[in-house]
Amino acid sequence: MLALRAVDGFYGRSHILHGVTLDVPAGAITAILGRNGVGKTSLLRALMGLMLLLEGAILLDGRDIAAEPAYRRARAGIAYVPQGREIIPDFSVRENILMGSFARSDGRRVIPDLVGELFPYLVQNLERPGGVLSGGQQQQLAIARALAADPKLLLLDEPTEGIQPSIVEEIETIIVRLNREAGLTILLVEQNVFFARQAAQHFAMMEKGRVVAASAIAELTDALVHRHMAV
Amino acid sequence: MAEIIFIGLSLSSILLLVALGLAITYGAMGVINMAHGELVMAGAYVTVLSGIWLHLNIIAAIPLAFLVTALIGYLIERLVVRRLYGRLLDTLLATWGVAILIQQAVRLEFGLSFFGRHIAGLGVGLQNVTVPEALTGAITIGGVQVNAFRAFIIGVTVVLTFATWLLMYRSSFGVQVRAIMRNPNMAAACGINVQRVNALTFAYGSGLAGVAGVMMSGFKTVFPDMGTPMVVDGFLVVAAGGVGSLLGTILSAGLLGQINGIVASVTNDILARAMVFAVVILIIVLKPRGLFSYRGR
Repeated sequence: MLALRAVDGFYGRSHILHGVTLDVPAGAITAILGRNGVGKTSLLRALMGLMLLLEGAILLDGRDIAAEPAYRRARAGIAYVPQGREIIPDFSVRENILMGSFARSDGRRVIPDLVGELFPYLVQNLERPGGVLSGGQQQQLAIARALAADPKLLLLDEPTEGIQPSIVEEIETIIVRLNREAGLTILLVEQNVFFARQAAQHFAMMEKGRVVAASAIAELTDALVHRHMAV
Repeated sequence: MAEIIFIGLSLSSILLLVALGLAITYGAMGVINMAHGELVMAGAYVTVLSGIWLHLNIIAAIPLAFLVTALIGYLIERLVVRRLYGRLLDTLLATWGVAILIQQAVRLEFGLSFFGRHIAGLGVGLQNVTVPEALTGAITIGGVQVNAFRAFIIGVTVVLTFATWLLMYRSSFGVQVRAIMRNPNMAAACGINVQRVNALTFAYGSGLAGVAGVMMSGFKTVFPDMGTPMVVDGFLVVAAGGVGSLLGTILSAGLLGQINGIVASVTNDILARAMVFAVVILIIVLKPRGLFSYRGR
């Protein structure tokens, strides 16, 4: 579905991503693992088109999108749930969700049924401002916004970070359902190795802006985790 | 008393006409557009020129001026402003330069005056617009004699304000504008074509300035420098009302216009203007973000 070929990414003069080559197979969850500051978030931003300078090729279904602006990538079927959620506090829940629908290829502006199934709380509170929701609800809102784009590929950046423990499991269940039931391809940045092993079929380990290991999840050994993730 | 309030209302509506476009380019887009006054001036000149060359009256000049100034605004955005988003002071300097260019273009008749050619309606001189019969004299509204042209300005302002509100708060285009205003990266990641929406928004704000210029031309002399004081008024209104708030802009224009009208009626115009400045300073000291502003992140 998605393939990166020797991607280099920069913020101004700092070279963040170094020759990243990675395959994200269709219909699976691929987990991106690594310590803080190794370039996981930058990788997602580069994929979404939010990194200013980029070299190399990003192939989406065989088509190179590396030169395309972010909005075209969104319309090509990539949806992004950023770290920190970045919902718009003074937009209502409805407006926040429908923001995602600008990426729909058919131009319709509707809240998908899937959102109602997964997040009953949101569809019961469409008129509340997004800013008054709890952290977990805002995370749901950010996922709902991504789903409103009717995407093929979902980029999730640490979806359980900063969320109260009781809600974490709920979010994790939803991520797995999105993949298993709705058939979405998911690229998941995750710190929680336990959840990554449970949910993902593939993984990529990052270190200093490079992918140092990428394989099926069964190959994610404790030694590998220890070497690249222990603090 | 009703007359004083009516005069205040008409002063408010002129302020609002100028500020409405700025509320969009400055308020929504974070660009200090020093050329806004020159767009007002350009709108006034469209009225003059369309009167001389096309024999159009001031009402017919409204859509024409909107289109012309929107196009100028579109070009300013495409050529200059789009490279300067997020650099507030640089937008100020660059658009100031654009303002001087527009002024000189009118003064020098697009450079033709160097070759001894002249276009009627342009140049350094003063121009006048004749207002059609229907809009001159006084009409009676609710038992009060009011100047017909002032009433016309109030009407146009109400219509444009309502249209702007519809566009910004009730249309899909407005959702895109407001999303970009709050988080441009996330807006782009949601499939919004940020560059295109920005260019069109800037063009719309500029078009409103053009309409303000048409209205100005009906009761003021038209000349190349006329826009400079207007951009000051416009920024006063937007800064006092709260950046990014349409409601704030409307209320602040109403407040400042009424203060101007009431103080001028009991003292004089100069004191009234000083009073307006004093009130704006007070607002900014007490509420640095203006009377209304949307809650930031």
